Amino acid sequence: MIRTHFKIGLRSIIKNKGFFALNASGLIIGLTSVILISLWVHSELSYNEELTNYNTIASVIQNRAFAGEINTNTGQAMQLAPELRSQYGSHFKHVVTSSRSSGFEITYNKNIVVVDGRFAEPGLANLLDLKMINGSISALDDISSVLISESASKSIFGDNNPIGETLKLNSALEMKVAGVYKDLPQNSNFKKLNFIAPWERLKTSQKYDERLGWGNRWFQVFVQLDDESSLSNVSAIIKDVAKNNFPEDSANAELFLFPISKWHLYSEFENGISVGGKIEYVTIFSIIGIFILLLACINFINLTTANALKRGKEVGVRKTLGSSRKQLVFQFFTESFMLILFSFCIALVLAFLILPLFNTITLKEVSVPFNRWSFWIASLVLICITAILSSLYPSMYLSSFRPVKALKGASDKHRSPLILRKALIVTQFVISSILIIGTLTVVSQINHVKDRPIGFNKDLLVSVPINNDKVLQSFESIKNELLESIHVEQVTASDEKVTSIYTTNGGFDWKGKDPNFEEEFHTIRATHGFGKMIEWEILEGRDFSQEFASDSLAFIVNETAVKYMNLENPIGEFINWGGNENYKIIGVVKDMVTLSPFDPIVPTLYVLHQGDYLNYINIKIASNTDNVKAAISKIENVFQKYNPENLFTYTFLDDEYQENFNSEKRTAKLIGIFSIVAIIISCLGVLGLSIYMTIQRKKEIGIRKVLGASIHSIWQLLSKQFMILVIISLLIAIPIGYYFSSQWLMEFSYRINVNFWIFALAGCITIGITLITVSFQTIKAAIANPADSLKTE
Amino acid sequence: MANTLLSLNVATRTVNSGSNAVTLLDKINLQVKEGEFISLMGPSGSGKSTLLNCIGMLDSFTGGGYTFLGEPVHSMKEKNRSKLYKEYIGFVFQAYHLIDELTVWENIETPLLYKNVKSSERKALVADMLDRFNIVGKKNLFPIQLSGGQQQLVGIARALIGKPKLILADEPTGNLNSKQSTEIMELFSQLNKEGVTIIQATHSEHNASYGSRIINLLDGRIVSE
Repeated sequence: MIRTHFKIGLRSIIKNKGFFALNASGLIIGLTSVILISLWVHSELSYNEELTNYNTIASVIQNRAFAGEINTNTGQAMQLAPELRSQYGSHFKHVVTSSRSSGFEITYNKNIVVVDGRFAEPGLANLLDLKMINGSISALDDISSVLISESASKSIFGDNNPIGETLKLNSALEMKVAGVYKDLPQNSNFKKLNFIAPWERLKTSQKYDERLGWGNRWFQVFVQLDDESSLSNVSAIIKDVAKNNFPEDSANAELFLFPISKWHLYSEFENGISVGGKIEYVTIFSIIGIFILLLACINFINLTTANALKRGKEVGVRKTLGSSRKQLVFQFFTESFMLILFSFCIALVLAFLILPLFNTITLKEVSVPFNRWSFWIASLVLICITAILSSLYPSMYLSSFRPVKALKGASDKHRSPLILRKALIVTQFVISSILIIGTLTVVSQINHVKDRPIGFNKDLLVSVPINNDKVLQSFESIKNELLESIHVEQVTASDEKVTSIYTTNGGFDWKGKDPNFEEEFHTIRATHGFGKMIEWEILEGRDFSQEFASDSLAFIVNETAVKYMNLENPIGEFINWGGNENYKIIGVVKDMVTLSPFDPIVPTLYVLHQGDYLNYINIKIASNTDNVKAAISKIENVFQKYNPENLFTYTFLDDEYQENFNSEKRTAKLIGIFSIVAIIISCLGVLGLSIYMTIQRKKEIGIRKVLGASIHSIWQLLSKQFMILVIISLLIAIPIGYYFSSQWLMEFSYRINVNFWIFALAGCITIGITLITVSFQTIKAAIANPADSLKTE
Repeated sequence: MANTLLSLNVATRTVNSGSNAVTLLDKINLQVKEGEFISLMGPSGSGKSTLLNCIGMLDSFTGGGYTFLGEPVHSMKEKNRSKLYKEYIGFVFQAYHLIDELTVWENIETPLLYKNVKSSERKALVADMLDRFNIVGKKNLFPIQLSGGQQQLVGIARALIGKPKLILADEPTGNLNSKQSTEIMELFSQLNKEGVTIIQATHSEHNASYGSRIINLLDGRIVSE
């Protein structure tokens, strides 16, 4: 029997090619999207899971209270790990201090490559369970050794044996390669960990022991819990370790363990409480995936039931031949199942082909796990869900035909699921419209933020990192030499880039400050001329000046800082910093966007500084230069001359600023793509329904034409009912879209209001696309010769 | 004396058309004995097809009693009813109603599938039937490749394959030319001689003459016999 069902199914697919093509393409597009989204969601949810000690690794992070708000931060003092080891060691297998991951120049045989890595205590190798290809995992105990990853080894040494070779890190530290480990999983926070150097080496070379105390929270602490310990218990035990060791800090630091399972998706904290993070995107895209699957299934239902007239006769015959309804349901279900299986196979191939492109958009390295049985089980589940959602109803419907009527070819008007089909079409449009509204909201929010006045001029500003002391000492010479070029207008140095002032400082006091107020200012130190170079706008007071030697103890503050400190007349006020030095406020500048443009402006202090702390040389390229390349090569020449050991690297601050938008742009792209998918599927549904409706009304159209109706009036007649459906959909979609859009926008402090025009535009798009789709059929029906359609009666 | 196959007792069928109740079959009393060959005659709309459909249990009477092989059909559930006609009744249609997607062989085989007949047995039965109707050479063709007469032969073969006690034929020659008609009618009379009870609806006096009994219908009533 099943064989017969398959045979008949196949034949009826071949016979109704057009119909099945329409039906299958909707399914294929839908399933491809669902497969891609599922792969992405799975990869996000399983982030870090491939690490051996996934269940026991955590980082030590802390909550600190500033100005009534709790900040959560991963930075720890270097004294913390030894303290945890000595006092609470029984709870941990490993406690490891590590520098933050960053790019280092590695020099070997005069070749320089930039590689990401960390300085860390030896335990990190065991905590991460490094798989050694060569050398020993315990090599980090030797202060002159370094472990490198397989891919780093490839890029530095090619196929040669790296063991025992000497590398130079940032043209300063010489280290011997003592081991090569297999690259860590791509889908993890440690994917870029391409070398591990001994922490002791960093500590001694930078004289940290002399300089850093409990207040310098510059490092990360990773732990691997003992098998017997629970995360929450240990969190409670170590809660006050930082506070007890550093009672001067009034920010009430509370340590806790943050498990590796949450690093990727739940990294955002608000007021000390986890508020999610990337998990929101996982949720959004899961919902979109479900939506798209639903759309594809709805399509299937619509098209299959619309095709039912054709199958009616067969149902009638079969019933008179003795088929039970159950058998018919089973037959139609088999048929649908075949089509779904077929579509799934095509979708899988498509997904496989699209995946590289998808990966470039999502910045992931997802692959189809063909070799995992769990993948095939998931696929089977997906196929079954699709089959049940999409073919159960049509099968029931088709098999319910009464034989006498079906044989006469009369449509069972009373039982006709037209209402249901209309409801399904409305659902499709509701979903598509919501997605369109979502896309428009994201895009217009991005554009809005892009247009945000940033308060300074970032054009033609280039930042070159100061790699070593030599560059720092020759700053004046470099500056003078650069200024000789016609390409360069101004040169300054600073400790941060003006587009990303992350450094924060505390320990300030001013007149009228509430003693319980725990303040935090962003600070940037820069040489003379910095403000003029970025073209900041001074609202009150004056810029730093060479004429006043006292300016070395002066602040220029932004408007937000004035409000933050609650000062009426800021100019001339003194701010005490660190207990012994009083800084005078000499100027107030207009607020500038020095962090993400999506975030609020932070209170910022600008300090005049020459010397040690400077990290970047900022260069303003002459605005009349039409050859930026020449300017860059001139700058490169100068840096090569003063610093031949290091690679010359530079960033345009404008580019750096644009990077703020990357994540949102990605979201916009993805939502946009899936909206288009949703629209295409919905259009297929509309196409199917319009085919059905025009067939049903063929005779009516013929009679109307004979009576003198114009093509236009018939087009109007037929299209009108679809317009009504679209308008109903919009009425439903707009409030839902409004809700989701405003929820999403709440995340940004600088944001658009949800605008009327977004809904208007979404409405126009939906209506326009529907009209075009419907018109294919309606125009065809309207221009058909009425003699043909009336003859059939 | 032959057994009674079915009997209708003031069987009536009325349907609602708009606000009017229309009586399609009006107080029909009819006894059919095994081995009879009955022709239902009457103008269009007299209720021939409706009566056939009701006897065939595709439609149901709305009033009166219907007994088939001693079983009260009128008080049966849909499921049992379909079991009954699956077992004992074969249908032949004016428009043949073969399934377009199936070959001749498969069309004839279909009722056996629904009766859960074993594969080997099905093969034997279908082969016999093809042989008997001289259409062995056509077994792999699709309906569309056959002439009307051939299609109707397949239709009859399909109706017979389940060894029904009763064949209901609704204008079986309505779409055929006279030569084909004669062939089909002779086949019917042959089948009848072999013991199959047949009820046909027809417009043609000539076709009716093959039968053993003629019933005239008008406006849903039996007017003469």
